[in-house]
Amino acid sequence: MQQNKNALKVAMVAVLTAVVVVFTLVVRIPTAKGYLNLCDVAICFIAFTFGPWSAFIAAGLGTALADLISGYAQWAPISFVVHGVEGLLIALIVKQKGNEAVSLARKLLAGLVCIATVSLGYFALSALFISTVSVAAAEIPGNIAQSGVGFVLGLGVSTAVKKAYPPVRSLSW
Amino acid sequence: MGPSQSDSTSSLAKSRVPMPNAFCIEHLSFTYHSYVQKQCESLFENLSLQIEEGSKTLLLAPFDKGKTTMAKIMCGVCPKYFPGTLEGTIRVFGTDLATLEPWQLLSICSYVSQNPQEQFIANSVEEELAFPLESLGLGREEMRSRIDRALQHWGLDRLRTSSEQELSGGERKRVLLAVTEAIDARFWILDEAFDDLDQRWRDQLKEMIDKGNKTVLVLASRYLAEFDGLFDQVLLLDDKKVVSLPQQQLLSRFSQLCQDDLANPLASQVCTPPEVRQLVCTDLVAERRRMSTLEEASFKVQVPHFTLQSGELVTLVGPNGSGKSSFSRILCGLDGYLSGSIKFDGTSLSGKELSKKVGYLFQNPDLQIFLPTVNDELSWSLRRRRDLKQEEIRRRVAACADLFGLSLSDTPATMSYPLRKALQAAVYYLLDRPFYILDELDSALTYHTALSIIRDLRQNGAGILLITHDRQFAKRVQQRTYSIEKGRLCEL
Amino acid sequence: MTINTFVAGKGLLYRFDPRAKLLTVMLLCIWFFLPVSLVGLYTVVGLLVLVGAINTGFSHIAKTFLSILPMLLFMVLFMPFNVRDGESLITIGSFTLITAEGLEQAVRLAGRFIGITYACTLLFATTVMQEVMLALRAFHLPYKAGLVVTLAFTYIPFIAESFSQIAESHSLREAESDQGKRIIQRLKDLVPTLTSALVFALRSIPNLAMSLELRGFGSEQKRSSFKDLSSYRHPYTHTLLSCIMLVVFWVLFRVQ
Repeated sequence: MQQNKNALKVAMVAVLTAVVVVFTLVVRIPTAKGYLNLCDVAICFIAFTFGPWSAFIAAGLGTALADLISGYAQWAPISFVVHGVEGLLIALIVKQKGNEAVSLARKLLAGLVCIATVSLGYFALSALFISTVSVAAAEIPGNIAQSGVGFVLGLGVSTAVKKAYPPVRSLSW
Repeated sequence: MGPSQSDSTSSLAKSRVPMPNAFCIEHLSFTYHSYVQKQCESLFENLSLQIEEGSKTLLLAPFDKGKTTMAKIMCGVCPKYFPGTLEGTIRVFGTDLATLEPWQLLSICSYVSQNPQEQFIANSVEEELAFPLESLGLGREEMRSRIDRALQHWGLDRLRTSSEQELSGGERKRVLLAVTEAIDARFWILDEAFDDLDQRWRDQLKEMIDKGNKTVLVLASRYLAEFDGLFDQVLLLDDKKVVSLPQQQLLSRFSQLCQDDLANPLASQVCTPPEVRQLVCTDLVAERRRMSTLEEASFKVQVPHFTLQSGELVTLVGPNGSGKSSFSRILCGLDGYLSGSIKFDGTSLSGKELSKKVGYLFQNPDLQIFLPTVNDELSWSLRRRRDLKQEEIRRRVAACADLFGLSLSDTPATMSYPLRKALQAAVYYLLDRPFYILDELDSALTYHTALSIIRDLRQNGAGILLITHDRQFAKRVQQRTYSIEKGRLCEL
Repeated sequence: MTINTFVAGKGLLYRFDPRAKLLTVMLLCIWFFLPVSLVGLYTVVGLLVLVGAINTGFSHIAKTFLSILPMLLFMVLFMPFNVRDGESLITIGSFTLITAEGLEQAVRLAGRFIGITYACTLLFATTVMQEVMLALRAFHLPYKAGLVVTLAFTYIPFIAESFSQIAESHSLREAESDQGKRIIQRLKDLVPTLTSALVFALRSIPNLAMSLELRGFGSEQKRSSFKDLSSYRHPYTHTLLSCIMLVVFWVLFRVQ
């Protein structure tokens, strides 16, 4: 009885997607050079707390919708791929079997993969399809900084959420 | 045990011919799953309830005693989405509920939640109504006529394309009622459905319950004047069971459960502030842009004169959307104003400075609680002050937790609503602001609990501005009252 | 927070079938990568901007242009430098980079960038989101995927609103003002706010799942649909028209 929980998956992915959009668009920390947005925090949180599938869809769709809403529709497909893959890879790396804690080495690896995916992904795809190699290369440092900060914060936030809201453990896909 | 047995003794009940049961709940027990060490207390034990087809039932229950859980269990979504242990049998129109999925109940049982926001799933009012009809597989013509009728009936025609964000609380309720009307299910569960509605719509809902051919269950935590003579049976959720009593006894037992018979906690309190501070607003004018696309005109808040002193307890009453929150936001420094002045002890303060003097407790405590445990939460802002030693922080936090009846190791997210509200107050108590604004403190709290929180918060002589739309509650606080209507504030 | 990309209007683009429009935008984006002459590329971009200006108004077109201007300048200014010593980078694989040189490359890339930007922007400025979803459904996007997007749009304002309230309440609880704090400290302070916002959002998941099922989601029965694209009467004509147009442009402007 009552095993079919499709609605929960849909609800979860939809809310998480909205969370990614909000973190990308609303939370902006002013830095010396423009703004830093927090989409990577949301993505890392989702990857650490939920499963690879929710991370892939929510991260990809969320950042794509954020691009669309802020009037950069041309970036949406690239964001979808780059951030989707980012979420998927992190989630796969830190996927837990049972209740054991994620080892430091795996966290480090996840962090490196996160930074590499974002910076190289954007570089390759935007050099190929949208802008040029030089423009894309100039964005690498910014992307490294943003995803690095995002990963560290995301790690902190996911630990805090697990403590502050224990029922989160029952949600995962 | 069937509550319907004693119906004949109830003066609220109207005479009727016995009908088959729409809902038959037997030996129901329910306990929420606990995610922390401490076990949850059970909500229901061996509860039984029969609702006959075509009957109108009112189930009274004090706040936080499982009223909403009961509705969710009856809709088949609890424990499915709200994990817990359920025992007993529930039959809905003769079928075992355990064999049904929630979506199979679509044309059988409709639920209007007390918190309308959680039930919105579409981008516009029209689509909100269309969604369940699409699930039913209705043809386009049929859908159109049902949607048009329901929208018209609830006065929502011009809001067709509005999104949930643009609607007021009352409008959201009306949309949900319109959805329920369009689905046209046989059984309606209305959770605090009269809340937020203006008199006109309350009358309409009352008439629908009375004249319609639906089986209706209304859940409520406060007994409203509208309820008189409307129901075939009035029941009470008392000590984890549903009981039926003659009206007078039932209502007096209900007010006992709501602790209305206890002495007003404020009555015995003598509030002597160590030093008298004063907050004065003169000729304050502020403008607020409406998010709604419907009202293009900006909304003005005007405050000719307002004072608040240490030790005082002042109430501000006004209907929904009259500018109560706008005024509070200005008073605590969150929003700016166009002209006039706000002076603290005779000096004008900037927004940032003002927010260090006036604490604002939002209606929703969850927006002001951040950390994993009560202890973290209470000590957070004390730790950030450089002048306090560890020992001192521990002492203050323990004393404060004691005062508000909190346990330091609890997790806020899994605490009951009254405790979360108390925690929110405790956090501000430790910040030791000279003034506090309490926004709609009484919503979802019994008067007694709300008044106790006020008593504790003003222990140190803080001046308090209490905002409410419930005049009943305002009356229990025997001090000065301001009223606000269409943005204009005046003293009563 | 506004999540609306639609610009109200009555022009031809608004009456163009959304399915055909979606397809055209996709084909157009591919078209910009075809080996066409510079003049041809800019003619098409010019036409696109012109059609856009007629439909959505000049200010919208200007706003879009301003939003990509920094990127464009960067492209044009750095291009020659890049071409001189960037030979090894060019092998990454874009075919246009191999044949073109210096300024011409920069101009071509800029034109392509402008074109793609306007094609995408115009699609979402002249079609309401609901019709974009219906068009995607016509191209066999699964129902659930469309529902996720719709629900996300419903929840974005709600989560944004709660987020800003949480941030406000956090600032009200500050014991000291946060003036002059280092960036590290500011980021650290952000953790409780973010946590609280996430918990608030996560709590709504079971409620949303509940509401979906109570409104009949999950049923085996085939859903009917209240809205469709039947008010657009010429999907095939429109699709055919834009395909022909693109082919004609290709024949006219291709590099021999």
